[in-house]
Amino acid sequence: MIPPGEPDLTGSPSFDIEGKEMETLAFQGLVGLSVAMYLWLLAAGLTIVFGVLGVLNFAHGSLFMLGAYFAFTFYGLWGVNFWLAIALSLVSVAVVGYLMERFFLRHIYNQDHAYQLLLTFGFILILDDAVKIVWGGVAKIPPMPSFFEGTVSVVGRPFPVYNLFIIGAGLFVAVLVWLLFEKTWWGKMVRASASDREMAGAIGINIPTLFTGVFAFGAILAALGGALGTPVRVVAPGIGAAMIIQAFIITVIGGLGNLKGAFVGALIVGTLSAYGILLFPVFELFLIFLIMAVVLMIKPQGLFGS
Amino acid sequence: MRERKKISRRAFLKTAAAGIGGITLGLKGIEASAQDKTPAKAKPARKALGVDVIKLGGQGVISGAHADYGWQIQGGATLAIEEINAKGGVLGSKLELKFMDEELKPAVAVKNARYLATEWGAHLLFGVDSSGSAMAIGPILPELDRICMFDHASTHRLTEELVYEKGIKQIFRIAAPVYQEGNLAAMIFKEFPNIKRWAGIHCDYEYGYSSWALFKDTLKKYRPDVEFVAIAWAPFWTMDFSSHISAVMAANPDGIHATPWAGEGVMLLRQALMLGVFDKIQAWFQCMGASVDILEGISNEVAAGKFKDKLWATARYIHNYPDTPENKKFVEAFRKRWNRFPNYSAENAYSTIYVFKAALEKSRSLKTADLVKAIEGMKIMTPAGERFFRPEDHQAIYAVPGGRVVKDPNYPIPVLGDLKVFPAQAYYRNPPFEPLKMGK
Amino acid sequence: MKTRLAILLLIIFLAFLPAFAGKYLLYVTIHILLLSIFSLGFNLLFGYTGLLSFGQAGFYAVGAYGCAKILLVYPSLLAGILGGVALAGVASLLLGFLCIRHTRIYFSMLTLSFGMMIFSLAWKWRDVTGGDDGLVGIPRAPLEVPGVFKINMAAMESYYYVVLGLSLLAIYLFLRIVRSPLGLTLQGIRDSETRAACVGVSVRKYRLLSFTIAGLYAGLAGTLLPPLESTVTPPVAHWSYSAEPVLATLLGGIYSFSGPIVGSVLFYLLKDIIVRFTEYWLICLGIIVVVLVMGFRGGVVSIFLKEGGRR
Repeated sequence: MIPPGEPDLTGSPSFDIEGKEMETLAFQGLVGLSVAMYLWLLAAGLTIVFGVLGVLNFAHGSLFMLGAYFAFTFYGLWGVNFWLAIALSLVSVAVVGYLMERFFLRHIYNQDHAYQLLLTFGFILILDDAVKIVWGGVAKIPPMPSFFEGTVSVVGRPFPVYNLFIIGAGLFVAVLVWLLFEKTWWGKMVRASASDREMAGAIGINIPTLFTGVFAFGAILAALGGALGTPVRVVAPGIGAAMIIQAFIITVIGGLGNLKGAFVGALIVGTLSAYGILLFPVFELFLIFLIMAVVLMIKPQGLFGS
Repeated sequence: MRERKKISRRAFLKTAAAGIGGITLGLKGIEASAQDKTPAKAKPARKALGVDVIKLGGQGVISGAHADYGWQIQGGATLAIEEINAKGGVLGSKLELKFMDEELKPAVAVKNARYLATEWGAHLLFGVDSSGSAMAIGPILPELDRICMFDHASTHRLTEELVYEKGIKQIFRIAAPVYQEGNLAAMIFKEFPNIKRWAGIHCDYEYGYSSWALFKDTLKKYRPDVEFVAIAWAPFWTMDFSSHISAVMAANPDGIHATPWAGEGVMLLRQALMLGVFDKIQAWFQCMGASVDILEGISNEVAAGKFKDKLWATARYIHNYPDTPENKKFVEAFRKRWNRFPNYSAENAYSTIYVFKAALEKSRSLKTADLVKAIEGMKIMTPAGERFFRPEDHQAIYAVPGGRVVKDPNYPIPVLGDLKVFPAQAYYRNPPFEPLKMGK
Repeated sequence: MKTRLAILLLIIFLAFLPAFAGKYLLYVTIHILLLSIFSLGFNLLFGYTGLLSFGQAGFYAVGAYGCAKILLVYPSLLAGILGGVALAGVASLLLGFLCIRHTRIYFSMLTLSFGMMIFSLAWKWRDVTGGDDGLVGIPRAPLEVPGVFKINMAAMESYYYVVLGLSLLAIYLFLRIVRSPLGLTLQGIRDSETRAACVGVSVRKYRLLSFTIAGLYAGLAGTLLPPLESTVTPPVAHWSYSAEPVLATLLGGIYSFSGPIVGSVLFYLLKDIIVRFTEYWLICLGIIVVVLVMGFRGGVVSIFLKEGGRR
């Protein structure tokens, strides 16, 4: 706390919050929660693809970015209805994902992991420049859909309705995905192929087609994250590459291939970065990577892995 | 085993040969095109400056959330060059521009400066959006033996430390520095006795640190009763400022001082609106908020009155000040050429080219040392007003007002109204400069 | 002996380069040499030992920042280089100890996280590293041994010779390493870990050795950067910078000695050429990477030598 009248020019972060620590922490946590939802959508697809196909897709963040760009085009430029725009952007990115898997990744499944990483890294380079060519290098800032404007009062402070929507959407997707993999026929096939590829093929599951489907599904999740963020975040080249590292951290913490772990991991990383700004700005980023390293060293299969 | 070794030796030879061949061809290629691009040796006695073409090397940020600034610098410079070339160039020599992307990375900016000066053959350098890049380029200018006219990078340390203290004479700055962000803001808000608790949301790099330090230092001198209650730092590429805004609002500030600029500035203001900030605070000073790209970005919100007249800003030039024929002519020409209002970086770049012209005409020489002498102490009329290049630190002195961001029926985008005009002498720092502590 | 002749010619060519090349070309050549050293070290770990590290930029950064900090207080090139390399060596030894117990994906992810930890310190610890703005105004300090000699480095040509000399030394050293029993052991471990362990090789010890040498090479390349550019900024620690030696090695040829070097030359040549035609050089690079991975995993060298790479 700074004594009144004294300038704080010394260097420590100062928040004179007049005793309202609990409300501040709670509110900051809620803000972190909405940030976490974007991360969850990004990490979910990444972890599914790794769990089933065994591929760590570096370019997953670029699919997120494409989701944002497509949504911006449909909604911000062409004035399409917000929900329709999101649906269209999901379809568009699913197509991109299909092309990536079907014509490129599929052919190097039997190669060293290193080549898969390198190939997907090549895709990042291509996609980052591709968006610059198509949409230009300048960042886009689309308008906000009117039904999401406004705030609700949480612990006495205004919290944007849009952020609540994002939290809701993230939870909804989590439940949906869980149902998909636990209850549907397709979900059972996917889980079977993940645990034993040969056996699954032996009982008649068309592995290549299934894999393509899973990859496209992962792409859709990433695109959803990007698209939902369009009205409130900048749409610019490189936003995907900026987030992919966080997605990696989350999947590592949660366990590669583990959806529940990815959700929890996203919550951890999202809220940690929000608290970081409030409480420990200098070492927040370091801390997140440290956690990643510690998990890898002590329990490489992740907090929820087996 | 021996078989293998034989093959690998032959293989080695082949590779080495291929390597040498490749390297030679490649390096020759680079060399050849270098020769294409070095300044042509002039027909003697024809051009006063000894060359057919005067090469101007510029850089700014052309991609990402801040890309508009690079575009504006190019736009302003190109307009000036076209005007000058149409009238016969400078002492008979035409001007040529090459513009590169600094990517807001100091390492890239240094590489570009070196490329432009040594490989492309630029006679003069200008531009540079990022303060970090400027601080990196400054020290290598003596090695490159080129002047760089800084059009945007605004940290006070560029002129106060590198020119005044360290004597790097090749640095000039045509743009108003962080005295706008810091000292001018303090001058405006010292008159508001009800605004006592200030918070900052600032860029986590040189620009943010210098702005905040100057603001606190100056305001405290006039108003010992103010407190600085919160500060949040946002690095480049911050997409979501919600955490920063909520952290800072937890301290219940009366006023907020913010530096995130360009696309990030628009995002910050929008997210602040979403979080209901403008219902609670009394004033928000968006440092470079009077920049055209931000005004365009928040146009709808201003028109709808969402900022409740609490949004204040300044810039390094605004198109509606001063009300002189020079300025009007420039704005019209720019709008005609590019179909947009000129940003301050456009005006700064436009004026840079004219300053170069004046210096070249005065010194009648391309030598850096002569040009330095020509620009030092120069008084020149520009769209932003009369600029005077102070010899002590090579900073151009001219006044830019601050004001409220308002809707004006005469303009399609918001403008600064309720202008608070102060003469430059009232808020620019003067030598000898006392160093500021720029911590968190 | 033809090999030796070819190499001698190459060295003579490089030695006489300043005589007919401009300053900028020397500057680019220095960068090529730095990338070559960086990539050689990386390839010891990848091509010879079979470990893909995405965190080598961390050690490069330790070398670069270390050298810069030293030069800012004690402007002696030798001190900066030795200090930077030593720091990088210590860092890679410590972190290597933690990393080499894991393999494949987990190893790669672990190196990524350590590299990014170093990045986050470089980026956020403003008081020590200058934060986003980095360290600036680093002098191109003279090469001196106090009392014995002092050579001024202000001219690009002088600095070029220092870098060239060190690079040749590093390359020669590398040659000795890979031809030695150590080199063969590493390849054995790469080809079959279990078999190597069966013949009594301490797999971990050799991997750690390989990791440390790679880190030393990365650090050496890093120390040579600040005197050249006079700035050191956080991007040199970022994982995307770790990708440069990976790409160069992939381009040139992973399973060959000269691959990283050839790849470094190609990397710069390609960039220089592409940038003249279009500003979109990343997409071209990306396409090249995809083509290489899909069809030419042995890189350019394999195209000439028809070794075809492994698998």
